[in-house]
Amino acid sequence: MSNTKGGAVPLLAARDLVKAHGRTEALRGASVELRAGEILAVTGASGSGKSTLLHCLAGIVRPDTGSVTYAGERLDRLPEKRLSELRRTEFGVVFQFGQLIPELTALDNVALPLLLAGVRRQEAWERAGEWLERFGVRGQQELRPGEMSGGQAQRTALARALVTGPKVVFADEPTGALDSLASEQVMTALTHTAREAGTAVLLITHDAQVAAYADREVRLADGTVAPLEVAA
Amino acid sequence: MIGMSTRHILLGLLATGPSHGYDLKRRHDERFPQARPLAYGQVYTTLQRLVRDGLAEVDGIDSDGGPERTMYRSTKDGARELAAWAGEIAPPAPFVTNEIFAKVVVSILSGGDPEAYLRAQRAAHMTRMRELTAVKTARGTDLATVLSADYALNHLDADLRWMTTTAARLTTLTAEVDAG
Amino acid sequence: MRADLRLAWQLIRGSDRREWWRVGLTALGAALATGLALAGVALSSLDGYVAIPLAHDLLNSPRQRSGVVFSLALLLIPVLGFLGQSARIGAVHRDRRLAALRLAGAAPWQVRRIAALETGLACLLGSVLATAVAVPVLLSQWTSPTAFAWAGMTLVALAVPALGAATAALALRRVVASPLGWVRRVRPARRPGWVFLTAALLLAAAAGLALLTSWFNRPAALSPVPPTVLALTLVVGTAAVLLTGWSSGLLGRTLAARAQRPALLIAAERLRDDPWAAARTHGAVLLVTVIGTGFVGVRQVLLAELHVMSRVDHLGMDMEFYTTGLDLTAAAILVALGLVLSALAVGTAESLAARRRGLAAQTAAGVPRGVLARALFLETALPLAPAVAVAGAGGMAIGAWYTTVTTEYTVHAVPYVSLLVPVAVYGCCLLAAATSLPLLHRSVRPAELRYV
Repeated sequence: MSNTKGGAVPLLAARDLVKAHGRTEALRGASVELRAGEILAVTGASGSGKSTLLHCLAGIVRPDTGSVTYAGERLDRLPEKRLSELRRTEFGVVFQFGQLIPELTALDNVALPLLLAGVRRQEAWERAGEWLERFGVRGQQELRPGEMSGGQAQRTALARALVTGPKVVFADEPTGALDSLASEQVMTALTHTAREAGTAVLLITHDAQVAAYADREVRLADGTVAPLEVAA
Repeated sequence: MIGMSTRHILLGLLATGPSHGYDLKRRHDERFPQARPLAYGQVYTTLQRLVRDGLAEVDGIDSDGGPERTMYRSTKDGARELAAWAGEIAPPAPFVTNEIFAKVVVSILSGGDPEAYLRAQRAAHMTRMRELTAVKTARGTDLATVLSADYALNHLDADLRWMTTTAARLTTLTAEVDAG
Repeated sequence: MRADLRLAWQLIRGSDRREWWRVGLTALGAALATGLALAGVALSSLDGYVAIPLAHDLLNSPRQRSGVVFSLALLLIPVLGFLGQSARIGAVHRDRRLAALRLAGAAPWQVRRIAALETGLACLLGSVLATAVAVPVLLSQWTSPTAFAWAGMTLVALAVPALGAATAALALRRVVASPLGWVRRVRPARRPGWVFLTAALLLAAAAGLALLTSWFNRPAALSPVPPTVLALTLVVGTAAVLLTGWSSGLLGRTLAARAQRPALLIAAERLRDDPWAAARTHGAVLLVTVIGTGFVGVRQVLLAELHVMSRVDHLGMDMEFYTTGLDLTAAAILVALGLVLSALAVGTAESLAARRRGLAAQTAAGVPRGVLARALFLETALPLAPAVAVAGAGGMAIGAWYTTVTTEYTVHAVPYVSLLVPVAVYGCCLLAAATSLPLLHRSVRPAELRYV
């Protein structure tokens, strides 16, 4: 369970990330690696810098210092336009809530990334429908997010994150607002799909039961990666 | 599954009809997948005690071509006893037997490294939780397995949360233990 | 009461930037309303013929003064619209806060009073400022105002905050009804009810009647026409509010089913979901479009008529007397347009601010900002296009009709130049909507992901 196990080049690697929000330093030299197809849980207390780490790794924010490398490209140096494109095509994101557009139906929400990629509406709908069916939300595809249960909304969000066949899915407390049964359904859907498709997942959670779905765990404390075991 | 009474479980299994020792063991292990498997010897002694107390009786010998097996069945007293036990609430944690806490305190007393111990214990807990989650989420797993894995996961999670808060309060605990 | 006042003050003091925007803009609107009303009161307190060295003697005779007073009163309409829009800034947050007050045990009337005091204080600020400016200006023009003028002005300065507070209490009647009722969702705007429609029609009728009795002292040939023009304009304006809401819904439904482009899809779905969201603001835009288009047409005809009349020496006053009247009307319409555009900009900014967390999440998910900006833009541009076209046509019809009835001195061509007005208004609306785009860039920062 050590952080640097394995000889393969990591798909996504962060080195010595420092990021401050105003006067508070959220990250103070955190390094983490994500290998292709791996499900990695990032755990830690609230305020330990988990979300900021995810934002840096997904190219949503730039670190103050340190590097983020994805498939050989330095994310921290890419222009915003390219980052946005990368997030749209190679990455998928799932948050605790709020990532679905409230005015769009479940089907349109899932179809949106495909439409952005230039897929025709009819085809986008068909593919979106398949994903919703896979996650057991087919019957609710005409509902808007406000009309769905929390679990259905999160499974719809998962479908939206996975519909473009991303290489990495970033999930920030995806089950944070769910009860344990809905949480189990969301996590099972996420991990099964990711393992079948070989999608790497970076999973932020404070819940050990959710972290247990991952292959490996990284613990953050005060903006750095805490040792998991006794130092050898 | 703390404090589970083997006698009552065997009585429960006998409630569906006469059965012999080997069959009881097999059905037990099937029904409670994540529990510690019953030893055949334990089944045999428990059955003898049930007969002694009048809760079960020998139903006959079943040879069926193979080795001879003694068949047992539940008595009226046994059924009454079983109903009473099943309806009785399980005492909520009557004694706290917390090995992890004992080790932390001993480690402080003997000048060890309780923090490193908690970290290692946490890692071991997480590994076990990952195993259980893998068992639970494998395709085609039956509900009994899912539920018993869930039970274990929730208990491990409780331990884990306790360890996290304890690790955060080690300094205070050390001062308290050293002062006492 | 003192406890409520203290609480209202604390709520204002402890509130975030958006709340300050609401307070500031409410005060600004109140100041404008007070200013207009004060001018009206000062003018109407004059009795008989008074020589006023302003505006080419337009204010000298009582009949013309009453016309000006009436125009000032009409200008209050866009000001009130602007105030209504300002009150919506941070409305979701405020509604939640009021609901929290109810949950904490406050009675509905207490919450209503606290909210009313909050708005009342902002209006008081505006009215005090406006009065502080108006009194020295008045004294510089009029050495000894009558007691009637003073009384009227005091009444206005006090009535504006009182009315503001009363309106706030009325507007919040649904919010305070239940501690939980409106907490959860941003509620879609409702279509205007029959109260609104009746009020609008009554206003139109009243305007017609008022104008039949007093208007500019013009040659007899022109006198019955302008009031009819105005009443017609108001009716068209009311229809405009209904039209924009209805067309938003229709456009949304039609486009949502067919849209291929993501920006169009998002905009169309928003219109379908909440077609009445911007209906009032858009309705005001249309009203100004109707009036503006109609005015440009009427002005062209009037000027031509006046030129012919001056050639045959039928004019009662200087040419400047008439043109100043027209110019003042044009200025009033421009002020109204400015107010309406500000309300539109405020409305767009507010709708964006209320959704900033969702927008930040979309950006994080890789939806390009351009798509979000286009969606926001289309949300204003789509429903306004047909509505402004119809309003322009309505105004054009007024002008054209005026041409056909004003034929005593000369025959006029149809004033096609007024068609430029709807085009210009539409362009200004797009610009007003575009002013919130920089706010979009600020809103989609990932820092917004952290907050609800």
